[in-house]
Amino acid sequence: MHEAGVVGVFSEPGAAARAVGALRAAGGAEVRLAMPGPFTGPSAALGRPRSRLGWVTFLGALAGMAAGIALTVGTSVAWPLVTGGKPIVSLPPFVIVIFELTVLFGSLVNLAALVVAAWRGERRRPFPALDRFRADRIGVFAAGGDPALSERILRDAGAEEVSRVG
Amino acid sequence: MTTGAAFLRIEELVRATHRRPGAGYLALVLLSAAAAAFGGWCWALMIRDGMWRTGLNRPVNWGTFITNFVFWVGIAHSGTLISAILLLFRARFRTAVYRVAEAMTVIAVTTAGLFPVIHLGRPWLAYWLFPYPNQRGLWINFRSPLIWDVFAVSTYLIVSTIFLLVGIAPDAAALRVRAGGWRRRFYGFFSFGWRGTGEQWRHYTRAYLFFAAFATPLVVSVHSVVSWDFAVSIVPGWHSTLFPPYFVAGAILSGLAMVLTLLVPMRRLLHLEPLVTPRHLDMLSRLLLLTALVVAYFYAVEYALSLLRGPLPERSTFLDRATGRYAPLFWMMLAANFAGPLLLFSARVRRSPKALFFIALGVNVGMWFERFIIIAGSLSHDRLPFLWRGYAPSWVELGITLGAFGWFFFWFLLFVKLLPSVSIAEMKVQAVEEAPRDA
Repeated sequence: MHEAGVVGVFSEPGAAARAVGALRAAGGAEVRLAMPGPFTGPSAALGRPRSRLGWVTFLGALAGMAAGIALTVGTSVAWPLVTGGKPIVSLPPFVIVIFELTVLFGSLVNLAALVVAAWRGERRRPFPALDRFRADRIGVFAAGGDPALSERILRDAGAEEVSRVG
Repeated sequence: MTTGAAFLRIEELVRATHRRPGAGYLALVLLSAAAAAFGGWCWALMIRDGMWRTGLNRPVNWGTFITNFVFWVGIAHSGTLISAILLLFRARFRTAVYRVAEAMTVIAVTTAGLFPVIHLGRPWLAYWLFPYPNQRGLWINFRSPLIWDVFAVSTYLIVSTIFLLVGIAPDAAALRVRAGGWRRRFYGFFSFGWRGTGEQWRHYTRAYLFFAAFATPLVVSVHSVVSWDFAVSIVPGWHSTLFPPYFVAGAILSGLAMVLTLLVPMRRLLHLEPLVTPRHLDMLSRLLLLTALVVAYFYAVEYALSLLRGPLPERSTFLDRATGRYAPLFWMMLAANFAGPLLLFSARVRRSPKALFFIALGVNVGMWFERFIIIAGSLSHDRLPFLWRGYAPSWVELGITLGAFGWFFFWFLLFVKLLPSVSIAEMKVQAVEEAPRDA
């Protein structure tokens, strides 16, 4: 059983953005979105803060840098073979490997963070009947609050369909 | 047309590319699979009989295989240029073409990665290139450019694969809605549980930007590292600080040429003309022209520096390139990489897909010649005149080269039939942005 609320179906991102704004202004219901593309209007109207994924990615990149330094310096010291008369710890060539590992770890952690954040967001703010919202329509879900008021706001904003769930 | 209808039309156009393949498509798949199989057989011969099957000998110990490696790494570059760098620059024309470029990147890096292994002669020892704890306490030499290559190319393959798959997820989820049977399960797998909620998009758009930010310096680093394979040596014709930007520009030129070579027939065969419009081809051909001019500038600087200021062996090598045994390849390279793209100053040529196709094909050939001349041309004309000796690839090397093209086209053809070759989600955003304001 899904949590109770009202779903509005929109074909225009602009209308969906208006609905989101009006529902938030009315208060009472928690507003959620589902859409087939990253439309900026409805997302901005939702007023959610910018994803903090970047911090996790940054830490991943730092870990990659540390791993790169440890690998190049550590293995060179562990097997100290002089080549070309260069120092055992030759930082300029090591920077290349350190850079590559920084990018690699940063990207992998970015991916892992995206998967976890998307999964957690979905668990915390689920959206009912998603199929059509992945294809050609934008869904606005008013969870909780006064269903009659939500229905009226969604219709006034130009929803093609409005239905109660839960 | 309403926005919802425009969304459906975009989806239908992409879905139509996945319809039952025609005889022409199947013939191309068979042809490329046969070429790949022939290449595999040639490689098997080389493994069985040894390196004498190749034309490699002193002083030319790097030949067609390393030429192919540099060529395919270069091809891989424009994918990231178009998808990541143009994303950061907010160039909207990339939307319709970047998926093809990204797929091309991943397949080209995979192809490139085969060649150092083939070149080893004993491919079963390829794992020696990677650092791993062992009982003898030996570690790889991080001061060697070949090890930089291992790290750069592996990282590039992993990051560009992630970038491609993350981009595909929302599109596969959209296609899954109206799909049935095995296709529904297939799209379901590649959608990775994508649901398209506001929360998912909030994190996705941010993460995508970071992938682009990582990929941008990576693309510059990878071909710079490849160029250092040559530049850190003292071979005349290789030992130059010009090499990193020269190689990166050349890589972008060859990659753009390959995108056009693939895109022009593909948009026609898969009926993607409404999405990949003449404007997209025009913008790509302008980029091609720009990079061709940059590469021509590097050719001029390279020659000017060596002939006016360079030491005698350097001058001798560069004169040999233009007048010696590889001179026909050199002049064909100049014609294909410089004279051909100059035609793109004409708007009429840029509007003609057929002309674009042949100019791009010419650049592909020219860029292969360029790498061959740099590698074999420099080694065959080293510092010691008594060691000057020509090199010609054996039929086994040419067979493996043909096999690489077969391998590349085989996977690319499978890709366009199985996965969305245009970004549906971003095309929908573009449709909204381009719709009349009062709609």
